[in-house]
Amino acid sequence: MNKEAVFIPHKRKYLFCADQQGMKLLSDVIEQVKRSECSYDLFVFEGDPDWKPFFNFLKKQKMGTYLYVALNNQVLGHAQTLAEEIGFSAEEAQYVVYGEVVRKIFCCRCHGINEAKEKEIEITCEQCGLVLSISDHYSTHHHAFLGYVAKL
Amino acid sequence: MKWNDDLEHFPYPFKGSVYRYSNNSIPMNTPISIEITPDYKDEMLLKRNLLTHHPERCYQSLSHTTTGQWEIVNLVIDQLVTYYPQHFSVEKKDAEWTFHNKIFDETHKFTFQDERTLPCEPLAFISHHVQEDLLFMMQRDGDLYLDAGQLCFPANWSLAFNLGMKFKSIHHPIPGFKEEGMDDRILQFLMRLEAGNPWERKNWSLMAGDRLDTSLETFDKWGKLRKQVTRENAGELVHLRVEVQKLFRLPRTNSILFTIHTHLLSLEKLASNHEWLKQFYDILSELPAHILEYKGISLYRDEVLNFLNHRLKGGKVR
Repeated sequence: MNKEAVFIPHKRKYLFCADQQGMKLLSDVIEQVKRSECSYDLFVFEGDPDWKPFFNFLKKQKMGTYLYVALNNQVLGHAQTLAEEIGFSAEEAQYVVYGEVVRKIFCCRCHGINEAKEKEIEITCEQCGLVLSISDHYSTHHHAFLGYVAKL
Repeated sequence: MKWNDDLEHFPYPFKGSVYRYSNNSIPMNTPISIEITPDYKDEMLLKRNLLTHHPERCYQSLSHTTTGQWEIVNLVIDQLVTYYPQHFSVEKKDAEWTFHNKIFDETHKFTFQDERTLPCEPLAFISHHVQEDLLFMMQRDGDLYLDAGQLCFPANWSLAFNLGMKFKSIHHPIPGFKEEGMDDRILQFLMRLEAGNPWERKNWSLMAGDRLDTSLETFDKWGKLRKQVTRENAGELVHLRVEVQKLFRLPRTNSILFTIHTHLLSLEKLASNHEWLKQFYDILSELPAHILEYKGISLYRDEVLNFLNHRLKGGKVR
């Protein structure tokens, strides 16, 4: 997850999926795509995201399509999971987040997923009560950072 | 449990008097991914127990790995019956296989490549018959991914967390590994691994205690022993932990089987070989802080050095 979008040239087609605020974060890249006269498509989320149309929209895309998604932190992770299920790899997509970034933390003892705010370095696992020290070891499979035993 | 502490067959890992991370892989003389040792029964009972009671910790797989898992079953069974015919045999009638584990007096009948005829996934099934942990890495998009594995005896890492991870991300926590370019060199080496030319290497660490199952999931329990090491108890409490790691290319799926056989030796036993004692003392004295920290030795390094030094001077601790 990034805080801003980066234009990746020479793709067959570009998709921009975002709510209103997210579209603002993508506007520079959209302009660049327009200037380069590449093919593109927009998908606008309104209110609480309705995932079915989004899923179907992604599913009908062809190989060589590059995906941008910009949403707030509460829902961006789910959008990413759906896109990956359909087959968008890390090289074919960018996920842009706005609002306070909440990181997911994987508990090393019980595998529970917790949330930590941006500046927190230690949290208590909500599932098993272990105090976790937040590491920078990240899993794109779990979309989470590893939390280690904080105190022996 | 007390392991064999077998000095004669211990895969002693050191050369020279300085240790640094390196790609110390060598081509294998005998191309065999597994080894049956005198601890077989005890270790298998422990392993089966862990697989039964802690499946999420000890076994993980992604759904696209089934073909590769069967490749592993084929390779491991062929090697078991070739190198240990006194302990294992197999009869194959077309796809109908009957596999015998004579050590446990077990017979397993299944249809090759039909997982409905097995009680569990193919990789989990064969894991119940070998002491090694078995990891399966798939190669695609110029990278290697840990897409399935059975891991009962990890050196403080989590298979559940690392599932689906790329090679370099798996090794991200090792200090200096990326900075020295080791991660890229080893990845390139692994991607060029050829079928029929397996390689092996040894990796080592020290641990307080003699557990084989030092998973990250249970670190809060076993890690505490690190604080109890003294010069007096280091000989019995602290163990040199050596992993014999073997790498096989699986030609059908172009993936890699990575097997890990873990051996433990108490420092007491190690110290009974004077050459090893001297060499290990030199290596540990010189080891940089970032390696000590990653291998989990920092907390009790000084106590261990005191113990080794005392032994070098001919002293008996007790």
